[in-house]
Amino acid sequence: MTDAIFVSKAGADRRRGLLDWLLILSLPLLMIAMELGVYAFEPRVLSLRNIVNVLNQSSYLVLFASAQMMVILTRGFDLSLGTTVSAISVASALVMTGLAAAGAPDFVLVAAGLIVGLGFGALVGLFNGFFVSWLGINPFVVTLGSLNICLGLATTISGGRPVFNVPDVFSLLFYNGVLIPGLSIPLMIAILVCLGLYFLLNHTVFGRSLYLIGNNPRAAYLAGLPSKRFLGLAYLACSLLAAFGALMLTARTGSGEPNLGGSLMLESIAAAVIGGVSLQGGVGGVGAVIMGTLFVTMLSNSMDLLEVGGYIQQILLGCVIIVAIFLDRLRLTRG
Amino acid sequence: MTIADPVQIGASRAAAAARDARPLLELSRVSKRFPGVTALDQVDFELRHGEVHVLFGENGAGKSTLINIIAGTYPPDEGAFTYQGEAVVHLTPHAARLLGISPVFQEFSLVPDLTVEQNLFLGRELSRSGVLDRSRMRTRALDLIKLLGFDLDPNRKVRDLSRAHQQMVEIAKAFLADVRLLILDEPTASLTEAEAAKLFALIAKLKASGVGIIYVSHRMREIKQIADRITVLRDGRKIATVEAGDVSENALVEMMTGRKIEVLFPRIEPRPGAKLLEVENLTLANHTVTDVSFYARAGEITGVAGLVGCGKSELVRAVYGLELIAAGIIRVGGAAVTNPSPATLLKQGLCYFPSDRVAEGLALGRSVRENASMTALDLPAYSRRGVLQRASERRAIQSIVERLKLRPPQIERAVANLSGGNRQKVLLARGLTRDIRVYLFDEPTVGIDVGAKAEVYDLMKDVLATGAAIVLVSSELPEVLHLSHRLYVMHRSRMVAELTGSDINEQQVLSHFFREDAAGRAAPASSGGR
Repeated sequence: MTDAIFVSKAGADRRRGLLDWLLILSLPLLMIAMELGVYAFEPRVLSLRNIVNVLNQSSYLVLFASAQMMVILTRGFDLSLGTTVSAISVASALVMTGLAAAGAPDFVLVAAGLIVGLGFGALVGLFNGFFVSWLGINPFVVTLGSLNICLGLATTISGGRPVFNVPDVFSLLFYNGVLIPGLSIPLMIAILVCLGLYFLLNHTVFGRSLYLIGNNPRAAYLAGLPSKRFLGLAYLACSLLAAFGALMLTARTGSGEPNLGGSLMLESIAAAVIGGVSLQGGVGGVGAVIMGTLFVTMLSNSMDLLEVGGYIQQILLGCVIIVAIFLDRLRLTRG
Repeated sequence: MTIADPVQIGASRAAAAARDARPLLELSRVSKRFPGVTALDQVDFELRHGEVHVLFGENGAGKSTLINIIAGTYPPDEGAFTYQGEAVVHLTPHAARLLGISPVFQEFSLVPDLTVEQNLFLGRELSRSGVLDRSRMRTRALDLIKLLGFDLDPNRKVRDLSRAHQQMVEIAKAFLADVRLLILDEPTASLTEAEAAKLFALIAKLKASGVGIIYVSHRMREIKQIADRITVLRDGRKIATVEAGDVSENALVEMMTGRKIEVLFPRIEPRPGAKLLEVENLTLANHTVTDVSFYARAGEITGVAGLVGCGKSELVRAVYGLELIAAGIIRVGGAAVTNPSPATLLKQGLCYFPSDRVAEGLALGRSVRENASMTALDLPAYSRRGVLQRASERRAIQSIVERLKLRPPQIERAVANLSGGNRQKVLLARGLTRDIRVYLFDEPTVGIDVGAKAEVYDLMKDVLATGAAIVLVSSELPEVLHLSHRLYVMHRSRMVAELTGSDINEQQVLSHFFREDAAGRAAPASSGGR
């Protein structure tokens, strides 16, 4: 029997391997095709300046998509990510402008901004994590709830208006300062975060466990993994990453914006899923998030260059997500 | 559609067909593959009119695949399917029923929230000008239940019935149709002897009228009693088709396992030591286990036998913290376990190996390495301060899978690509990644081939020699009979017997399986053969 089985199995592996390769290569090929297609109408798309621009834009989204990945790996997602970003933006901006008006020194401003921003992120993450993990409530319901809570907070504390005059030192540190010539600070941070996440996912018990929990939560529990703790920690990590991204965006705009995170929830999920992070859990990684982010950023950059309207762009992004999820399904049923 | 006495209809049509000399069903060189497994390999099978043809083989031998193909659940990958002399292609479960093929599976196809009667008529409700004809359905249902001699109330919801009663509904469903080919998959697994006797009488009646019956069973006694011919399957292949009268029990078991019994089951000398696991008066919240006490000693295999649904699996699951406990004491290595959970029990050296490896055991999408080390990630050989020691992990897992004879011994393959036997080895590898003193095996050889089975038994022998205790829960009777040094028997959620030495034999165990029954009657359940 064994011989027959191994022959057929090897055959199956080869076939699956081919399909896998097609799926893996489909995204880079699609990106190249897209850029070349746009180039025919708008040569600026392949200019060095535009490419650098795309990379810099990606450095924000890659953080938010990584944040989503942490929870998508465990079969969840975080709908509250966008409004969390908004709330953190206004909260940290309010604290910094307040302290600046009181004449506090620069390092206090920055420290206060970071503490408030990351602290708020930690609170949201613990809130989501507690309800999803310890009380076993569906992440859809929990994060939909926290989406609204954060939206309300962001609007209330800012009075619905942007908070201007974020101290320059903050923007200098997280946006337009120059540490290494030719490498923007956001891009540098994004690279460091990606490296850190790669280590976390592949070289720590926590990272390994996220994959195992996402792949088969029941088996992970029976194997004695601290599933609840790690699931809660995944939501904490998600919100902390989002908080960090929020602070970077605040540094860029130089103001606390109550609508800052408007489209980020969808874009972050889109980038992760398009890159190949499976909504069924347990599949994905930093590489996938980077590819997905680049694709989403290139797509919107191309459409900007071709002067496609913002609302039309949203329609297209929605369609792209659905196609990506369909491909995810396909991959799973084949596997 | 009108339904007369179903047996009568079945009888007259089948009798007409019986005049045809050709067999009712003929499968030739049928194969079926699933990812990682060849479930059926070039199998020939023939069913005559008016014949009871027993399918005999171990779990995973291909019996269910074969009957599922006949019932139209899935198509064969290759081979010819001839029914009443005509080639059949694209068979669906619905088309099969229209052809008079009625399957009764072990997994029930009942809707729990509907009543017995609604389930019987599901999809073939009687109606008069578009309105359900309740009174006629009621009459039919009552007639049928009476004919079958089952103790069933057509008004009750299936959810509220015991497993035995659900089995009766399932059987009744098959008889309601115009049946020409009846498939019974271990139908007596949860019936009492009296109910089983009624079923056998019905089978005799159907047989006389020319209906062909495929009967899947492990039980020697009933096979002897009703079989005309027996086809033995092993590892997806047909070993032989024999006349029931011409073959001895031992010959059948040897055909089934492919080896002499002494060779398949290693001789393991017990060296009973300390009681490593003690359970006292355990009762579960859902009462699937009621007031059960037992213990397992080092150096000894403690078997737990019982019918499906008797609570034997729940018992060991409760010890591992997977069931809600209402009362009772569990001691591991002499220390009371107050709040059992997998993590705490693993630390105390106790590991449970689930029977459902796909649902509870393995992360199929992940590698052999990750699956094997899953239970040991807290140990210094696998991680320090939360950082994985990947090189040392690789070395450890590689040597374990080589010891377990994983084939091929590649630790980076996804577990989804492995066969049943190899998957079980990956699961068992966990027992070797850390110091496990008590092994709880729940149906350890379900769905794996004979070679892997023998290797699982060898592993048991090895770990026993290191002074571990093994609890073996199994529905595979030969397995518990041959391997257990002490054998507990459970019946309807209670522990009814503890057998030792020469008392560990089929007659003893079966008499406890059907305990209430045997006690209720003057003569104890007679056992044919020996």
